[in-house]
Amino acid sequence: MNNLNQKIDPQQWAPAKVDAGEAEFIAAPSLTFWQDVRSRLWQNRPAMFSLAFIILLVAAAIFGPMISRHTYFDQDLKLSNIPPILQLYEVQNEGQAATYFFLNSGNFKLYETTEDGELKSILRAKRKDLINKRHIYEFGERRIFVDYSTLPARIVDADENAIDAYGTKWNKTYWFGTDSLGRDVLVRQLYGARISLTVAFIATLVNFFIGIFYGGVAGYFGGNVDNIMMRIVEVIATIPLTLYVILMMVVLQSGFISIIVAIGTVFWVDMARIVRGQMLTLKNQDYVDAAKTMGASTWHILTRHLLPNSIGPILVTLTLLIPSAIFIESFMSFIGLGVSVPMASWGTLTSEAVETLRSYPYQLFFPAAAISLTMFAFNFLGDGLRDALDPRLRK
Amino acid sequence: MLAYFAKRIGMMVVTLFLIITLTFFLMHAIPGGPFTSEKMLAPEIEEALNAKYGLNDPLWVQYLNYLKGIITLDLGPSFKYPGIRVNDLILDGLPVTAKTGFLALLCVAALGIPLGILAALNQNKWQDTAVMMLATVGVAIPSYVVATVALYIFALQLNLVPTFGLDDWRGYILPVAALSGFWLSFIARLSRSSLLEVLGQDYIVTAKAKGLHPLSILFKHGLRNALIPIVTVLGPVVANLLTGSFVIEQIFALPGIGRHFVLSISNRDYTTIMGITIFYAAFLMVMILIVDILYMLLDPRIKLADRNK
Repeated sequence: MNNLNQKIDPQQWAPAKVDAGEAEFIAAPSLTFWQDVRSRLWQNRPAMFSLAFIILLVAAAIFGPMISRHTYFDQDLKLSNIPPILQLYEVQNEGQAATYFFLNSGNFKLYETTEDGELKSILRAKRKDLINKRHIYEFGERRIFVDYSTLPARIVDADENAIDAYGTKWNKTYWFGTDSLGRDVLVRQLYGARISLTVAFIATLVNFFIGIFYGGVAGYFGGNVDNIMMRIVEVIATIPLTLYVILMMVVLQSGFISIIVAIGTVFWVDMARIVRGQMLTLKNQDYVDAAKTMGASTWHILTRHLLPNSIGPILVTLTLLIPSAIFIESFMSFIGLGVSVPMASWGTLTSEAVETLRSYPYQLFFPAAAISLTMFAFNFLGDGLRDALDPRLRK
Repeated sequence: MLAYFAKRIGMMVVTLFLIITLTFFLMHAIPGGPFTSEKMLAPEIEEALNAKYGLNDPLWVQYLNYLKGIITLDLGPSFKYPGIRVNDLILDGLPVTAKTGFLALLCVAALGIPLGILAALNQNKWQDTAVMMLATVGVAIPSYVVATVALYIFALQLNLVPTFGLDDWRGYILPVAALSGFWLSFIARLSRSSLLEVLGQDYIVTAKAKGLHPLSILFKHGLRNALIPIVTVLGPVVANLLTGSFVIEQIFALPGIGRHFVLSISNRDYTTIMGITIFYAAFLMVMILIVDILYMLLDPRIKLADRNK
């Protein structure tokens, strides 16, 4: 109990000054609601990374296909199923420049390249010895065998010795390789992003307007109008909506516009419910009564007072609707009801990759990664927005 | 009570009727009959086919006939498989779909809820972080991506499970895992946040102060209340497990209803599309009703009639 004996400076016993002005002093800068939201969102690392990712993705989807030297529909059947990473081999020929080539382990063909991985053309086999499972290639004097009697296939010389690889190079012509029809995967990826994102954004916007209108009218007018409108919503909510998107797609025939219509007209129920809930709580606020007293029209009150004040939950629902729209679109495309060829979306790209899964498993990587990362990003952003708009909800 | 159920069942019938009507007219809004897309049929044959299936009758007669069929539980003939009725297709696929769906539902409940409890009891410790990370991954990655990647790794590369078919129990592992992934994560997140909220309540503090056993607090006071929001989402979970099975059955080549449905779409087999849609809708509505009854048993405070307000 040493500190009992401690001396306390008599100064500290002096009464504090009472200053009414100081008590009222606001130390922190006064922030508007949105400034507050912004700063909270800014501190949320995953949400900010997600936002940056989404912006980058949108930019890449818009400008990528413009810059690329390939187009999403150009086919080159001779250069199909080229991998993104090439294992180059070198053949020296007396008096001539060296030839570089790589072996496509999926179809046992050789392709000529430049030294640094620029693709030139497919090499023609001199002879195909199907019984011994080997292809014979000739480079001037030298003979080279592609032996696929044991998998993985290997390249051997005339004395059955495996040839060492010259080096591993990134495919300079097709950065992400090509698909089964010889189309550039990168450009189709970006084009797919364009389609998937466009479908998701427009469908979400359509849902947004229908939901706001429906929920706003129901919530604002209340009473019987509300009763009837919400009964209808209840009926719609019991219908499995994915089934209805599928039915709509069957009726409208698959295509870009129909998938937007199908997704856009079906998923507004949640939005309508949320807007209605907001309206019900907000419409009894004093400022609404004040506006009414001053003779504001219903439309004015709805658009100027009620909707701006319920924008928070609406925004969160909206951000979370986008990934589900992306998901539904890719789901539809995956079962063959999405955009029609040669258009591409992430769903069609995934299902195309699944068809060649056994021989070229890496083709699945890019569409699967793209869609998963985008879903992550939108989910994180939605969660971050919700936390930023209403910190009480933070768990 | 009884009045409530009567009302609910009445609403179900109305909804089902709307669905049947909507589906019927949507399917008949498609230009061309079911046989026009075939290879050039002789006009007499097409005429005979149309007459056989009653397609020459005015639309409202066809509609009434269809309704009559549904009341007697007959969904009509399949247009693509001669001699097979839609009922047969559904009965053929039902065991497979029901089995995988039920296993997936079991997975969701038996793994998702304990994971959520584990996370909530260890809030902000590594268990919590691990569960939440897993749940975030599970919610973000679409089921068909999970399915194909799992198929590649476990079936093609490691040969641990068969790539298709349900000949032995190992065949069920991947389809069930892919089907339940999203909802397992969702339920884990939901039960975590719900349990956390309940554990913060005053009556839990009281129970602790009374010196009750921690397990008894968790099960009698915590979980019973925390389960309520979880039970509410079980209805939609069943719905989504069913629609999710379209793609999963396609990927793993399982002969279930979902596969028949997807096939009937690419075959443009309209009666099958209609029949399976209506079957699904009816099934789901019954499931939602069951969930509502469960809900009431779990929480006697909830008067069912008030829920719609």
